[in-house]
Amino acid sequence: MKLTIGNFYVKDIVFGDELSYKDGVLTINKEEALAFVKEDERITEADLYIAKPGDKIRLCPVKEAIEPRVRPDGKGIFPGYTTDLRQAGEGTVHALKNTSVLVVGRHWGGFQDGLIDMSGPGQKLTYFGGLQNIVLVADTNEEFERYEQQKMNDALRRAGHKLAEYFAACVKDLQPEEEEVYELGSIRNRGEEVEKLPSVVYVMQPQSQMEAMGYNDLLYGWDLNHFLPTLMHPNEIFDGCIVSGSFMPCSSKWSTYDFQNTPNIKALYREHGKTINFLGIIMSNLNVALLQKERASQFVANLAVQVGADAAVVAEEGYGNPDADFIGTIVALEDAGVKVIGVTNESVGRDGAGQPFVALDEKCDAIVSCGNVGELIELPPMETVLGELEALGRDGNSGGWDYDEKLGPSVREDGSIIMENNGLFCSDQVVGWSTKQMMDY
Amino acid sequence: MSKKAIVYINQFFGQIGGEDTADYEPTIHEGLIGPATAINAGLHADVTHTIICGDNCMGSRTDWAVEQILGMLEGKEFDIFLAGPAFQAGRYTVACGTICKAVKEKFGVPVVTSMNVETPGVLMFKKDMYILQGGNIASKMRQDVKAMVNLANKILDGEEIGPAAIEGYFPRGIRKEYFRPDKKPASERMIEMLLKKVNGEPFVTETPIPKIDRVPIAPAVKDLAHAKIALLNTGGIVPVDNPDRIQSASATRWGRYNIEGADGLEGGVFKTVHAGFDPAAADADPDVITPVDALRALEKEGVFGTLHNYFYTTVGTGTTESEASRMAKEIIPYLKEDGVDACIMVST
Amino acid sequence: MVKEIERAGFPIVHMCNLIPVSKTVGANRIVPTISIPYPLGDPGTSKEDQWKLRYHRTKVAVEALATDIEEQTVFKV
Repeated sequence: MKLTIGNFYVKDIVFGDELSYKDGVLTINKEEALAFVKEDERITEADLYIAKPGDKIRLCPVKEAIEPRVRPDGKGIFPGYTTDLRQAGEGTVHALKNTSVLVVGRHWGGFQDGLIDMSGPGQKLTYFGGLQNIVLVADTNEEFERYEQQKMNDALRRAGHKLAEYFAACVKDLQPEEEEVYELGSIRNRGEEVEKLPSVVYVMQPQSQMEAMGYNDLLYGWDLNHFLPTLMHPNEIFDGCIVSGSFMPCSSKWSTYDFQNTPNIKALYREHGKTINFLGIIMSNLNVALLQKERASQFVANLAVQVGADAAVVAEEGYGNPDADFIGTIVALEDAGVKVIGVTNESVGRDGAGQPFVALDEKCDAIVSCGNVGELIELPPMETVLGELEALGRDGNSGGWDYDEKLGPSVREDGSIIMENNGLFCSDQVVGWSTKQMMDY
Repeated sequence: MSKKAIVYINQFFGQIGGEDTADYEPTIHEGLIGPATAINAGLHADVTHTIICGDNCMGSRTDWAVEQILGMLEGKEFDIFLAGPAFQAGRYTVACGTICKAVKEKFGVPVVTSMNVETPGVLMFKKDMYILQGGNIASKMRQDVKAMVNLANKILDGEEIGPAAIEGYFPRGIRKEYFRPDKKPASERMIEMLLKKVNGEPFVTETPIPKIDRVPIAPAVKDLAHAKIALLNTGGIVPVDNPDRIQSASATRWGRYNIEGADGLEGGVFKTVHAGFDPAAADADPDVITPVDALRALEKEGVFGTLHNYFYTTVGTGTTESEASRMAKEIIPYLKEDGVDACIMVST
Repeated sequence: MVKEIERAGFPIVHMCNLIPVSKTVGANRIVPTISIPYPLGDPGTSKEDQWKLRYHRTKVAVEALATDIEEQTVFKV
């Protein structure tokens, strides 16, 4: 399978008369874009903003991030979800780099939403604080979940996924500034030079723990709660086969942008043929019952053995009980003779004195650890807030609160905030961006 | 105005004498004696006094010696307290840890000491203070003093203290996020660890797996038919208005709710505030988490004596061990007061 | 919490689905439940089946409290 990603490096984004891309400047006709968003009748109110690194902007509640992309062959960028099902991972896709479409609730947040700062001490805490972002701030008529702590955010997230393709349409027929080519053939007959190298699979455990449909990560539009592990090609992940969901404390989440660019997979690709023989992806999930967790672990270990993996990397999108899926899968793989590296975050609490995972096993001896979900974070007021800052404390955000005996409310009158890392947008970056590392102090 | 420091050393480094003077009672001296001179040379503070105490005196008459020294420090101005370095000298390491802990608690000033890894002082005090990883013999004096001074200067200058492995102190049982100055992303760290592990080379995990702490098994209830049983849960079952404002994750609060005479918990009256799972089932029928109905039936059948009149609730997701342990200690008196014999804890 | 209560001398049975987590927490008496969101009654089954399951597992838990054990024990349900 061969995928070419044609990159266009966005240096600036401006509003103007016509959607266009020229010399690194992305111009957006705001009215037309908003009219496109409002084609979904559920969207009752919408506006667009631009948020660049260094801007005195705080975004909250952020629900999703997507890299703007389009396929010159006219096929949709999220097969089985926004458009017809097709095999992802082949052909050419054009991408607007250094930029993301961020979706922010105009008023209402929930457990799963996050916060992004574009400048100040909070900027480095999320990956998106360093990108040129096109920000959709909108509200919907989804009354059934307005006051729910767990929200599907379906209208808003879909608006973001569609907008990402809408914006990228302006580079559909242009010549990319750079091309990334990802090609990996059958796992058989790769030649002696490659096959003598240690063979590696990448095991993904995306979030799928809501039993009600509409909240979980979707694979070709299929809810990963109803799923057993399967073998996939890494290019499928890069080409939109999976979109992010709306469940799990936000720092642990993998946005669609993260999936589209997963640095861990790119790193394994880079090493392929040099130091390792990269066999591909085992797509797994996260479950709510021990039997389901054990069943998925068993499938993963068996698949890894079947394809002849010497080693595996296991990455989980979550913490808490998902640690049992994560640890259980590592143990199952190690027991099957596959050497495992785990990539995850920890939950050692605000005081840092807790145990890193809820389940422990000494076989998990090689962990890359990207953050502490309970780390307390205090940030000064920000000039502009896109969305509604109150959502952090009011709407049951996993990292915010409206009342605390010792710390006071998350959102203070002067606009400064105190929160747990839990509520920062996709901040632990287990997909591979994370320059944070957990250390003993 | 320059900052001030006070240094603690034992009889040997205080130039009183060797083993024969280990009973030497504490004394305080203006100015610099022994290692205090070297400490003073690099420190961003003036060492105003040196305290000397024999290791046996501190070891065998601990409370008295500590009291004497705290008395000597009373009324003295100092911004930091340093002890040692104590190298591999067992009693000296314990003495340094003991006095540093007492000074930190009484005066609220930062303390810094240095010991070798193989010593009892490290095991006893590493969670209480910065103990630098020192050498095993006194010939390491120069480098151990330098390490103490470097860390002390960061504290004095109000700089952030980095991770144990970088600053050179023993981990204090705390883990925190560290933004790597080299900005090496997780993907590269993953590849490096992978290649080392798969090629059989040594590697260092970023999450050491801690040993599991166990408690002795409590003896079984002897007379179940007359036993009083209490029900607890970490599934967040609360009255619908959540009167104790128990958080839906990272809980620091708990509640107890009366179930006297209740044959079960009803949806609409009770619900779950736990946000770590789909709440639909528990909201519709809270008994699926807190089986009050089943316990009541078993009580009536005489399987056990009585159900304690309250059930207890908190939320398990992201709740730290220290908070969980504190909440349990707050709940225990209620259980004792009502003569509860045994407990059932339901977790989600 | 389980550990702290047992440390205070109360026999305590931990009813939970994630046995590996319970073992890690250091519970000594463990009775398995069926899932995380609904430990004692699958809403996909009839009310009667839910009651049977809940009654049975709760009874096992109560009886576990009166059972002497030598080591960490997961009781059969």
